Amino acid sequence: MASQKRGLLRDPRINPSLIFGVVVIILMILVGIVGPMLLNEKLARVGAVEPNMPPSAQNVFGTDSQGRDVFTTLIMAIPPTLRVGVIAGVISVSLGLALGLIAGFFGGWADSLIRTFSDVLMAIPSLAFMILVVARMDRPNILVVAVIVGFLTWSGTARGIRSMVLSIRERSYTAVARANGETEVEVLFREVMPNLLPLMLASFIGAVTMGIYTVMALEVLGLGSNVIPTLGMMIFWSQRFSAVLRGMYWWWSPPIVVIALIFIGLFFLSFGLDRFINPAIPIKRGRSRIKLPTQPTAPDTAIDPRDAIMEVRNLRVVYETPAGLVKAVDDVSFSLRPGERMGLIGESGSGKTTMATAMMRLSRPPAYVAGGRVLLEGRDLFNIPDRELNKLRLKEIALMPQAAMNSLNPVVRVGPQFKDAIVAHLGRLPDNQLNEMVAQALTKVGLKPDVARNFPHQLSGGMKQRVVMAIATILNPKVIIADEPTSALDVVVQQQVMQTLGRLQKELAAAVILIGHDMGLITQFADTIGVLYAGKLVERGDVQTVLDNPLHPYSRLLIDSLPTLDGKHDLVGIPGLPPELLHLPNGCAFHPRCPFAMERCRTETPVLQTPLAGRQVSCHLYPEHTQLPPLTIGIDSSSAVIEVASSMGA
Amino acid sequence: MLRYIGQRFLQYLLIIFIANSLTFLLPRIIPGDPIQEALQTKAAAAGHQNVDIQAWVAEYNAKFGLDQPLWKQYLNYWGNMLRLDFGYSLFDFPATVMSKITAAIPWTLGFMTMAIIIAFVVGTILGALLAWPNSPRFLQGAVPLLMVISAIPFYLFGLALIFIFGVELHILPTGGGADPTLIMRWDWNTLGNILQHAILPAFALVLYGIGSWALGMRATLVTVLGEDYITFAQAKGLPDRQVFTRYGVRNALLPQVTGLAISFGLILGSGVLIESIFNYPGIGSLIFAAINSKDYFVINGTVAIMVFTASTALLIVDLIYPLIDPRIRFGK
Repeated sequence: MASQKRGLLRDPRINPSLIFGVVVIILMILVGIVGPMLLNEKLARVGAVEPNMPPSAQNVFGTDSQGRDVFTTLIMAIPPTLRVGVIAGVISVSLGLALGLIAGFFGGWADSLIRTFSDVLMAIPSLAFMILVVARMDRPNILVVAVIVGFLTWSGTARGIRSMVLSIRERSYTAVARANGETEVEVLFREVMPNLLPLMLASFIGAVTMGIYTVMALEVLGLGSNVIPTLGMMIFWSQRFSAVLRGMYWWWSPPIVVIALIFIGLFFLSFGLDRFINPAIPIKRGRSRIKLPTQPTAPDTAIDPRDAIMEVRNLRVVYETPAGLVKAVDDVSFSLRPGERMGLIGESGSGKTTMATAMMRLSRPPAYVAGGRVLLEGRDLFNIPDRELNKLRLKEIALMPQAAMNSLNPVVRVGPQFKDAIVAHLGRLPDNQLNEMVAQALTKVGLKPDVARNFPHQLSGGMKQRVVMAIATILNPKVIIADEPTSALDVVVQQQVMQTLGRLQKELAAAVILIGHDMGLITQFADTIGVLYAGKLVERGDVQTVLDNPLHPYSRLLIDSLPTLDGKHDLVGIPGLPPELLHLPNGCAFHPRCPFAMERCRTETPVLQTPLAGRQVSCHLYPEHTQLPPLTIGIDSSSAVIEVASSMGA
Repeated sequence: MLRYIGQRFLQYLLIIFIANSLTFLLPRIIPGDPIQEALQTKAAAAGHQNVDIQAWVAEYNAKFGLDQPLWKQYLNYWGNMLRLDFGYSLFDFPATVMSKITAAIPWTLGFMTMAIIIAFVVGTILGALLAWPNSPRFLQGAVPLLMVISAIPFYLFGLALIFIFGVELHILPTGGGADPTLIMRWDWNTLGNILQHAILPAFALVLYGIGSWALGMRATLVTVLGEDYITFAQAKGLPDRQVFTRYGVRNALLPQVTGLAISFGLILGSGVLIESIFNYPGIGSLIFAAINSKDYFVINGTVAIMVFTASTALLIVDLIYPLIDPRIRFGK
């Protein structure tokens, strides 16, 4: 990421909760520091003023039954209350950090021992336990109590730190650091610590809250020190002298308000910190469509729409990120004939999955459809009511999502997950008919009918993929979008799943859009292919003609990177890295990696054109050329990288 | 499955053993002599200033076995624990600790159960609505309010509630479990009176509980709604409502139900403050009175019961979890 160097205050994770919490707590601390300096401390002593007086000019908040000025007592009570929290917080976090690091780094018996002990602490109701301990003391000392609270509350921090250490240790940059010859301890301090800071801060806030809460609870129960006024003691005293029943609102209500403010501040603070620990928490919800400024678009008629079952026209999908709009799918148009097997190929981050979900109108924030149309037999999927769309999904157009592993409801058996889909489209059918349909669908994908009685977690990855295929095809859809159906499967299972998909396609005569990054797998299956690069469709045509005579330099390089059976040519990678969508190069997005790049490519974005019958390409080499010129520049294959590991928008 | 139960059971025995040993040991290493203090308080209360406290203390220590070596006391402690015998009240001598606890428990269980269930149901439904993308916009405004409510220590609501409904409006009793003049019978009048007294303390708990259940449910549900099985359910063309309930809520309920079970486990301890504020005759008031009369045996017994029920509840949660989450039911 290039955009890391920004001021802390402009960090997108800064949120209103955090700001509010920080402001309230700082305010409290300031009052606690400055207040006692300005006030006459003696007014907070027993018998200093006339008791039981309502608020007046002299005693703004009145006086209590023991002759203290309530306002002075209140301000004096803030520092000891906060101090208790800080002591508990420091002890709890230091212990939690130390034990968590030990458990995370050393594992083994140290880990089990710490875990057992933290289980024990979690099983003990801490307030009850504190009552027992403090009731033993001759004269309760709240600082000692705070220390004990610290010792009782480290387990949450330790667990968090431990799991974070484990996950950070797995991450690649730590591995890199280790490869550089740093020791574990160096790695710990240089790489791991900065990542732990937000978590520790949140744990600290948690322990401070717990400390103040517990000590205050003990005080309210009568286990406080009668000497130093604290907010908890103020509540206890007002209770002992029945302030509420006697209508002395000026006595019991001010401490309540201050206590409430402190806890609200702490709560909002930790709530806001959560954004730093789990940045994945969605920021916005709802579905809206973002309109982009108009851009040069390929003409609507770029593709002959005759006898097309589905047409995608000028589809645009954007991701709204704190760093700006990311165009994940940019002005993509193509059409699909009935029964066509179309392969859609691209590197990760090229917008394949984003496009698949957008075609089903399933884009979720932060992804939004920013323009274009998806026409299914002439009906614009983006412009029909939800109810009608739901009727088309599965029945006319079905999706096999990329993550078949997680696509089944984990707490419902497989059978009902077929049935609810059938019932949603065909209405209530007799049970035996439903069961029959499910059994048939399962048999078709090569599974036994009794798989219906299993829960998803009882199935293997390949079986889950088959179940997803069976569900997606149970209503004989006309269009099937299969998004990397073989990712995460081993090669043997991949082959079986692809064969099953091929057989299903033949039986249903459905059009299939097979999405993937594996050129070999796709060209084996598809009749036609489309090549996506950085959210744009750069080439489209019949598989064989594209393989024999690719028009776009990127397609050419993709094909050259395929191994051949005779193994005669060298494997060639594509130089450079896939582009970052946030910082796309001007002009043609491929020009930095393109061996044919010209001056024009740096400034002018090419549009999809038809240089040959049945072929589309978006490249400035055309229409001047009729085919790709021979590669003259040698490619250094050692620098070649084809990124397939992670996929944007998955 | 049986192995799972067996493993959990052993683990649980270990936890409960260590927890209770700590409950025994830690107070004994804190300096202080509770017997002496209790007797002093008692003597002062009875108007005797110059009695020979030391002799009295020694007699008590011998009677309750507190003069024995620590290991022997420890064994006695377990023996008494297993027989649910926590000795006698120091302050209220002939009464046993257990008799005081059994008298208080029904009150606590009654109003706490009511409060927990109401808060859970209302809070969970509210949290689900907050996470539903189709819910009305104004509901979102409730989130900061819920955060405020769940941040404030709930017993403080109690003071405000007593003031508003009891002192100013005079429509509800300000404390106690029932009218002192009420003759307890199994009739509607008694029940109504008891309910009337339970409304305010329960309300304080419900208010707080709604906030935290709703926020918890909302957070879990938002995560669940981002799962791939939700996308696939939508791709199947299921109506939004069905996707939300059967696929979303059904999965988000698991941690909520766990939380509910844990709250029932902590039922005896979590009402302590609210009960003492309302002078409600349950476990909380028992412990409050014991603290302020230095009745250490009552404190000890009550806390031991709380630790015991809390750790037992954790075991039960673990054992019932497979019933609601099929992923665990069939082993890993």
